Amino acid sequence: MTTKKNSHPSEVAKSVALQKLESFFAEQPPRKIQMAPARLHQLTRRDVLLFGAGAVAALVGGGFLLPQDTLSRLGVRRDVDPPAKEWLLNKALRIDDDVAEALYSVNRRVPTYTKSQITPLKNNYNGATPDPGYIPGWNLTLGGLASGLSISLDIGNLTRGFSLHEQTTRLVCVEGWSAVAWWAGLRFDDLLRAYPPVSQAKWALVESSVNLDASGNPDPYFMSIDLATARHPQTLLATHFNGQPLTVDHGAPLRLLVPVKLGLKSVKAVTSISYVAEEPRDYWAERGYSRYDGI
Amino acid sequence: MGHSTTPPKKTKSTSTTPKQGSVLVVERHHLLVRWSHWLNVPILLGLILSGISIYWSSPVYQHKPDPTTGNFDVAADTGIWICAHVPGLHHYSDPRDWIYNHLSLGPGLLALALRLHWLCAYSFMLNGVVYVAGLLLGGGWRSLLPRRSDVLDALKMFRYYIGFPLAKLLRRKWLHPRSNTKYNALQRAAYFSVPIAGCLSVATGWAIHKPMQLRGLAAIFGGYNAARVWHFWLMWIYVLFLVPHLILVLADGWDTLRSMIVGWSTRVSTGVDPPQVIAHDH
Repeated sequence: MTTKKNSHPSEVAKSVALQKLESFFAEQPPRKIQMAPARLHQLTRRDVLLFGAGAVAALVGGGFLLPQDTLSRLGVRRDVDPPAKEWLLNKALRIDDDVAEALYSVNRRVPTYTKSQITPLKNNYNGATPDPGYIPGWNLTLGGLASGLSISLDIGNLTRGFSLHEQTTRLVCVEGWSAVAWWAGLRFDDLLRAYPPVSQAKWALVESSVNLDASGNPDPYFMSIDLATARHPQTLLATHFNGQPLTVDHGAPLRLLVPVKLGLKSVKAVTSISYVAEEPRDYWAERGYSRYDGI
Repeated sequence: MGHSTTPPKKTKSTSTTPKQGSVLVVERHHLLVRWSHWLNVPILLGLILSGISIYWSSPVYQHKPDPTTGNFDVAADTGIWICAHVPGLHHYSDPRDWIYNHLSLGPGLLALALRLHWLCAYSFMLNGVVYVAGLLLGGGWRSLLPRRSDVLDALKMFRYYIGFPLAKLLRRKWLHPRSNTKYNALQRAAYFSVPIAGCLSVATGWAIHKPMQLRGLAAIFGGYNAARVWHFWLMWIYVLFLVPHLILVLADGWDTLRSMIVGWSTRVSTGVDPPQVIAHDH
């Protein structure tokens, strides 16, 4: 390094620091290795063979993980479905659920929108839409209560007995689409306070007995909700959609609305809620989807 | 890719004189960089195939349903077009699913595609950490940093690659632009941007996956729906990168491909130090 004789000492120091910095970021000459040709040949053969073994392992692993539908298209038949495959994929799902649960906080609100940001929400009943004949005789049954009783509430008990809250939030479907909708209803948390669950309860099993499958046969829907999520201030038992009482398409007269979870947790036409200690069955988890579904 | 190839055997340099009968090679890629590089092949393949299967259930690009067919998916339209125009595909049983049958795990496999996507996504993030660790431990990160002269040099390289096939056809001399660094400017731009795209894919992925708990992250990309569009187009960066990457590595030869397997290269004179005086023994 050359410096002018009369340059200021701080300038010198600065340029030294700059040079150090530049040489830190500057590309270094590659390290040279000297070896006997036989040794180099041996190492090369070892690494190339290892690489080949890895490539074969990746192919076998891929064939092991891919569904038969995909393999058939490639002209591959796999007669057995190894249990380890389910284990591995379920493990990934469980890890992801644990991450979702760790991210959840009862104090973190989901974004809310203005009424001008509302988007259309389709009737996304998985099967056929139930006949509205069930609505007049509808009741909500509560089980697993601290009182040991089974409580039956009609829609009047719910709308008159609790304060209704409005919110315009996004409903996100597992398929990827989403809709911003304006809801009103009572807080699940308020229901939990009014009718406290047994002390050891950690879960709610939310069911709809009126759901139908695609051909119109009864197909009761059941969902597990952890009580921590049920107590979120934006978890509603909705009675109104876009300012009107719920229509049959949207789960009249009462549906669950859990904006911190995927839409499939927001059970339409809820007919019963039971509080339990162990994680209950879940309709979509039994069909290969996540159980927690926190978003 | 690299240029001057000097057979390492029987060479002698002025700086380090190999003993008689020994070979001089240079370190090229750290072990962890090589491992993560190759692991990315099945992981990215798994992510793309499962990703397009997930896309099927709610396509980002939709139009009003066609009055006759009810179709609304642009990818299905593309499949119909392909089957109508590509010879031999006129009798394809389900043209609407052509894209999904060929570029994804298949249609109607959402639950499985999601599980596979999470498995690959967590592997991809871990693999990214391994890659960065390899870059730091081996000092390879310095070779990826952009330089001031890169824009002009990248243009020169681009011109070289574009003109190369024509020059070959015309049997004309077509000189590789000079560079005394591990990568030429165009490679550097690619190898610097692809890891950034990887980070953006991970970030947009989390934004879609947890739009409520990570609402700030989703907001950076313009919200949930916009993050889906970002995530979709970021996938194409890998595809666009892969095509020239494969062609050029094959064109460049065995030494380059082998260096990603074994870690070293026999191209001793390529590097940042001034070219060595090579004297042949025999």
